[in-house]
Amino acid sequence: MQRRLWQILAVLLAFTLVAAACGDDEDDAASGSASEAADDTTTDSASASEAADDDTAAEDAATDSGGTSAVTAGFVYLTETGDAGWTYAHDNGRQFAEEQTGATTLTVENIPEGSPEFDTAVRDFIDQGADVIFGTSFGYMDAMEALAAEFPDVAFAHATGYMSNDTNFGNYFGRIYQARYLTGLAAGEASASGNIGYVAAFPIPEVIRGINAFTLGVKEANPDATVTVNWTFTWFDPAVEGDAANALLEGGADLIAMHQDSTAAGEAAEAAGARWVSYNSDMSAYAPDAYLASAIWDWGPYYASVIEAVADGSYAGGAYWGGMDDGIVQIGSLADDVSAETTALIEERAAAMIASEFDPFTGPINDQDGNEVIAAGVVPADGDLLGMAYFVEGVIGSAEG
Amino acid sequence: MTGRLRVVPRGFAGPAVRFGVPVAALFVALTIGAVLLGVSGSDPFEAYRTMFNASLNGWASLTRTLALATPLILTGLAAAVAFQMRVYNIGAEGQLYLGAIAASWIGLFLPADIPAVLMLAAMVAFGAVAGAAWAMFAAIPKALFNADEIITTLMLNFVALSLMNYLIFGSRSFWREPQRAFPSGKRLPDSAVMPELSGRLHFGFIIAVVCAVGLWWVLRRTTWGFEIRTIGDSPTSARYAGMSVRMKTIAVLGISGALAAIAGVSEVSGVTKGLEPNALATDIGYAGIIVAVVARSNPLGVVPVATFLAAIATSGSRLQGIGIEVEVVYLLQGLIFLTVTAGEFFVTNKVELVSTDADELPNDNGTPGAEMTGAK
Repeated sequence: MQRRLWQILAVLLAFTLVAAACGDDEDDAASGSASEAADDTTTDSASASEAADDDTAAEDAATDSGGTSAVTAGFVYLTETGDAGWTYAHDNGRQFAEEQTGATTLTVENIPEGSPEFDTAVRDFIDQGADVIFGTSFGYMDAMEALAAEFPDVAFAHATGYMSNDTNFGNYFGRIYQARYLTGLAAGEASASGNIGYVAAFPIPEVIRGINAFTLGVKEANPDATVTVNWTFTWFDPAVEGDAANALLEGGADLIAMHQDSTAAGEAAEAAGARWVSYNSDMSAYAPDAYLASAIWDWGPYYASVIEAVADGSYAGGAYWGGMDDGIVQIGSLADDVSAETTALIEERAAAMIASEFDPFTGPINDQDGNEVIAAGVVPADGDLLGMAYFVEGVIGSAEG
Repeated sequence: MTGRLRVVPRGFAGPAVRFGVPVAALFVALTIGAVLLGVSGSDPFEAYRTMFNASLNGWASLTRTLALATPLILTGLAAAVAFQMRVYNIGAEGQLYLGAIAASWIGLFLPADIPAVLMLAAMVAFGAVAGAAWAMFAAIPKALFNADEIITTLMLNFVALSLMNYLIFGSRSFWREPQRAFPSGKRLPDSAVMPELSGRLHFGFIIAVVCAVGLWWVLRRTTWGFEIRTIGDSPTSARYAGMSVRMKTIAVLGISGALAAIAGVSEVSGVTKGLEPNALATDIGYAGIIVAVVARSNPLGVVPVATFLAAIATSGSRLQGIGIEVEVVYLLQGLIFLTVTAGEFFVTNKVELVSTDADELPNDNGTPGAEMTGAK
């Protein structure tokens, strides 16, 4: 969270320098430099505070508790709950779990991955009596593993990771690729040019899997369409995400999908008159004309179940990878102009996935060079999906970043 | 209007002003902050107790603050040395990355079983050279063609960030751990990790303080330092006096880049223990500019300013922990820092009310701001 503080201070300092240097020619260079350095941070802070405005209401909504759990749960977030994306979805889940179980919840926002601040935040939670810690970003994994070993009486649940033990440290995630495949069906129909752009955070299996599932859906609706990937190397940076979307739009894309935590790509699509498939939460309010569909998370029931397991002493770590059948991943609202046939197809495929009768990665599937990677009729094992490092046919870009 | 405010430098600030003003400023900040906290529904006393406990009260909190201050001191020095010569190095952020990249390379390259002293010395030397070399991309165009270093150093930050991201996220580089699905840096061997002093505080802090004292000595006690400050005051007269502004521009940006890079060495070796772009890119380089400006580019001033800033910053997550919203936390932190900084302004300057009838040239636009030329 210190990074945001530096940015705010830099902007404030720039203002004071400009004021102090007024009328002093010799100081012009100094004031110029500071304001320029601050320039790229201004947009960032401004958009963040805008986004933050609407999260107060959400927090207020979660005051009454239905349950009576004595458990205290600490949530560590990568960004702010006002991001409308990843952290927002987790915080909705927290509020749901709090209402369901009556547990006390603690939160801390803007904790960077790989930083000692994570360790500090968790120790603070434990000092305050936390019985379970939820770490909601991949890069917290090593620190969580160490803390889980140091505090065997505290439960640790880590989103998106792969480490666990069978006592107090588990990981959890969802098969968001199922929902992404469904949004691909809508996108393939909506893109007139067949040139689709995808703003993506990091070239890692989680993101690659989502791009592939989306592309499989796109190609099912329009076999000639392509999906061009633009990597941002950040989960959350509205300025970078918006730039990446604009680059794709200038390259002729008429639809933008994304694996990012802010709404910036959607706002870029809206400004360019293009369409947008959002992620994390139903972001239709942020770009009402561009919005087409969304792949969304519902973490609440899972959080409630972990808190209940901690309360009755049955939490035992392990790995959880839930799908649409558990409701942890869902498809958000569809825009009005999605055709009746496509809507019906999406509903049919969703029902089939919930019933475990359909998997979007069922072969034959070729990689982007045309080599068969999944043979006809084969449904890849979870291990193959979790390690997916190649792009399927139709994706333009490098899976190495 | 019958009068105007004029800011004039104080010749000498007495002890009452020296100590009274910062204390008063802190009190003002805490009072405004209390109102802010009260309005947002939090208990100000609990908040302040939490801030104090989290940052300064007790050995564990203090070492945590000093650990965060360590890279801030070094990037603050990097900015300060350049500012002394009126060269505006905005590139500490990128130079820090280069220091981390170079130090982790040599740390992974050398045999893990060589003595830690040798290993760490090699990392600091390698990192410093890399940071200085990176700064040359701005220094040489500045020296030869007077290319604006503000633009070049700033732009180089983004190049350096892309380079660091490429090494870990974009390629299977030497730095990247091949065994893990998520791109992350190879862990440095134990001999390449800064020895722990206490808790999170590591040897990098000693290096930072030594650099501060060393830089102060060079600037204040050597001819070279005198020349740097002379060029800063007036490049024209320095040139008349036979000083080579070009060579010194290159040297100062090189030293500045090296200091920022040592911050990167200290972070990669003492904190992240591997090249981790997400954990290294936390704007510490930009924060160093703030530190240098507040410390008025005095190397010895950089240490307490960086520590003060670190104390404010480190209490942030604890404040959130007691239920204060993150935006209020930032506001409170910014408020305290800015008010104390503003207080410092009044230690070195005094504000006078002057009559408009005084025999001065009329003010062009009539605003008091235009009179604030005594700020130096």
